[in-house]
Amino acid sequence: MRKSRVTLKIILFLILTDVLETLAHYFFKRTALPESGLIVSNALDAFVFMKAVVSSGFLWLGIVIVATEFVFWSTILSKIDLSVAVPIASFSYIMVPLVSVIALHEKISLLRWSGIFFIMAGVIFVSLSTKDRGVASE
Amino acid sequence: MSILVVILLLIIMSCFDTASQLVLKSSINSLKHNVNSISSVIRFIFRLILIPRVYLSLLFSTASLFIWLFVLSKIDLNLAFSIDSMHYIFIAFASGIFLKERVGYKRWLGTILIVIGIAMVTLS
Repeated sequence: MRKSRVTLKIILFLILTDVLETLAHYFFKRTALPESGLIVSNALDAFVFMKAVVSSGFLWLGIVIVATEFVFWSTILSKIDLSVAVPIASFSYIMVPLVSVIALHEKISLLRWSGIFFIMAGVIFVSLSTKDRGVASE
Repeated sequence: MSILVVILLLIIMSCFDTASQLVLKSSINSLKHNVNSISSVIRFIFRLILIPRVYLSLLFSTASLFIWLFVLSKIDLNLAFSIDSMHYIFIAFASGIFLKERVGYKRWLGTILIVIGIAMVTLS
């Protein structure tokens, strides 16, 4: 494949995919909390749990979002390597704390800041690894 | 439920996840479709969903989702995320072996930094 470099457009698409993923997770998480608050401990409970999951409106909303996400994610994968797309998608781990700092004025611990720094450095290294390859193969 | 069972479940989930991504990416690679406009995206998605093994990918990710939902009903979300972060390592290995992607030292370094970073963010 000729085009394998990470461009700004691809990063924007990845962030959008992350947002959709987070939304979908939120809806699935809402689905996973049946009103009854039942505890899954045996096969019958598991069946009741599954039934509650399938009849929840949040599940179907989540599925629509996942379908949209599938379109974006597949488009991204048609452009770049899997071993690049997946690590760069870890942006969501940075976005949530950053949004809570900017919008909610939450305090972030030093350990968390260091984690954010590590993730950003990691994303930069992974992105740079595609640059080398582009030069070498062209 | 003991933490070991949860870790085992998360490892199985990461394997399902990785398998799902591998199958999807190999299907996409087999199309050799150049996506450059909205209409080509639509054509691309239609061609993609006609490949039977894409549904295998869907099956794997559904299985992974159900394990995830089950695990979340058992343990803390942050702990689950930090254990799950190891799937980046799985992806890097599997992409190199099965998809013949060239995972060089920069990509490995980046991936490992991300895994450490996620552990720090989620456990703090």
